[in-house]
Amino acid sequence: MIAALSDKRLLIVTGKGGVGKTTVSAALALESARSGKRTLVCEVNTKERVTQLLGKPEVGPEVTSLEENLWAVNVRPEEAMREYALMVLKFESIYSAVFENRVVRYFLRFIPSLQELVLLGKILYHLREKRSDGSFRFDRIIIDAPATGHAITFLSVPQVIIDTVPPGAMSSDAAWMRDLLVDRNTTAAVLVSLPEELPVNETLELHQALVARVKMTPQLVVLNGFIAERFTDEDAATGSELAKELMHGHQGRAKLSQASRATLSKLGLPVVTVPRIFSPDFGRAAIEQVVRALGDPT
Amino acid sequence: MSSPIRDAMANSDVLLTVGSGGVGKTTIAATLALRAAMEGTGSMVCTIDPAKRLANALGLEALGNKEARIPDETFAAAGLLPRAPMHAMMLDIKRSWDDLVERRAPADKREKILNNRFYQALSTALAGSQEYIAMEKMWELHEQGKYPLLVVDTPPTAHALDFLDAPNRILDFLDNDAAKWLLTPALAAGKFGLKLFNLGGSYVAKTISRFTGTETLQQLADFMLNITSLTDSFRERAHQTRELLQAPSTAFVLVTGPMLERIDEAVYFHTLLQQNKMRVAAVVVNRIHAPVPPQLWDEVARMSGPLQAKLEQTLKENDLLATQDAKGIQRLRELCAPTPLVLVPRFELDVHDLKAVWETSRYLWGEARVDAAKPAR
Repeated sequence: MIAALSDKRLLIVTGKGGVGKTTVSAALALESARSGKRTLVCEVNTKERVTQLLGKPEVGPEVTSLEENLWAVNVRPEEAMREYALMVLKFESIYSAVFENRVVRYFLRFIPSLQELVLLGKILYHLREKRSDGSFRFDRIIIDAPATGHAITFLSVPQVIIDTVPPGAMSSDAAWMRDLLVDRNTTAAVLVSLPEELPVNETLELHQALVARVKMTPQLVVLNGFIAERFTDEDAATGSELAKELMHGHQGRAKLSQASRATLSKLGLPVVTVPRIFSPDFGRAAIEQVVRALGDPT
Repeated sequence: MSSPIRDAMANSDVLLTVGSGGVGKTTIAATLALRAAMEGTGSMVCTIDPAKRLANALGLEALGNKEARIPDETFAAAGLLPRAPMHAMMLDIKRSWDDLVERRAPADKREKILNNRFYQALSTALAGSQEYIAMEKMWELHEQGKYPLLVVDTPPTAHALDFLDAPNRILDFLDNDAAKWLLTPALAAGKFGLKLFNLGGSYVAKTISRFTGTETLQQLADFMLNITSLTDSFRERAHQTRELLQAPSTAFVLVTGPMLERIDEAVYFHTLLQQNKMRVAAVVVNRIHAPVPPQLWDEVARMSGPLQAKLEQTLKENDLLATQDAKGIQRLRELCAPTPLVLVPRFELDVHDLKAVWETSRYLWGEARVDAAKPAR
């Protein structure tokens, strides 16, 4: 595992929409499991993609084993709400009597951010969960978090609740969640970016927001889709106009990749590059390539 | 040449760009507004949190929550001479909510609402609040009638078409049967407190309290009591917004990328829009990888040495991307028929100056096409 992450138990993978968060989450999870850590990879109320990338059937909202040391789950609000309520209320019968009441449903729906709280709560609960021998059920949890704006909202929820909701079961749960998220010894945010201007700028803004608003500590940048230099200027002066155009295009993308890495380095975090992967069916084989790139930082 | 976008613009006074995050929706919105202005139709593009470079390109750097005209110098610098003014604004969510409360709430309720912790969560963090305020703004700008064409860039949504549902969700909050049942006796009595929850069933109230803390219910109740003064205007607005979205003079431009995972989302959006009786003028497939020109294969085949290997590798990569995109486009065409597709190539650099926006508009206008013979620059 990449040095910056090797002792972290909770990895939160985020970035602009479409930069490859799920790809990076899947690769980190595979690598973590192979290093012998019992690893759970979580998607948050979304169309499930991690399992497909790993070449496995969908798992849905139940924590399911994929292969040795690797589990996956797609947390969804209905199930998480039920689990959370049962934890607080202890009895199934009370749950049905109360939570299936239309007035209660109404209130729960509008208590700000309760849905996000239970989603996050379920994931973080698994981080604290122990086996009968006292060891943790999962050594490491990787969250394939929502994209930038939604990620900030999602990760700020414990703090919003602490600020909004007076003392009670909900706010005390929010407090331990907040403490866990900001604990830099346990938790690391991983920022995924692409070598293009807008995603790079958004990564800088996301870093700023995570530090300032969520008080989290990002510890790694993954620059996905990196294009290495291929053509020299001499090359690019040969051939027909079309050939030159092709080479100039490639040179431009390679230059942008370099420049993006330089800009992202200003954050003062390690920047790992993952080469652009050309694969007709982006699946397990592609993820293995990403694992190799992550394991062999250039 | 005909173009579905051109037709839509001729027949509409409101265009909304919709789609998932990261597909270039904001750029397409700006492109539509620019093109309209160039063609002589005054336009306004209303965006939420646009990429900074695009904002700069439009000369919007110093702008807050108000409408501004793009200065002539900005156009002149790009060599453009619009025949009608183009305006733009960036929507500030919190400010817009505060404005709304200040405008609509009775004087004695304003401060109470603005200071309530639930209001603060509602106006900043609550899912749907961005979407709601964007719809409000759309309606307001349309009502003012200052702009012959209004282009509204919808917020990037995590969950499909949140913005369609947002006004209803806010209404649901205020106008729900359950809420009425809880509030009515209190309104009649002219006071409100936990007593009400005793009326409503102490067992239920007690159990919710275990969950949220007792005070939460009290505060939520206070908030609701105050914000109820806005219910009628919310209800009226939700109704009007819906009508505007379904009006024959309103059209949607669905923006997507050509990758398969984006295509599935786009098809889903398309289905939902149609179910909601909203008119989709076109699906814009943005950032398409152009196919490799055949003569380039021939040229490379005649070469030798390391450069040939490198070029061949590059052609294979580009060909793979173009083939994948073509597959995605084919799928989209089948699943969204008969809605027309408009293809926009991938440009070597991000589109962030007016010149590039103008170049993009030529594809929307049908003046340029993604062409197999020549890759886009």
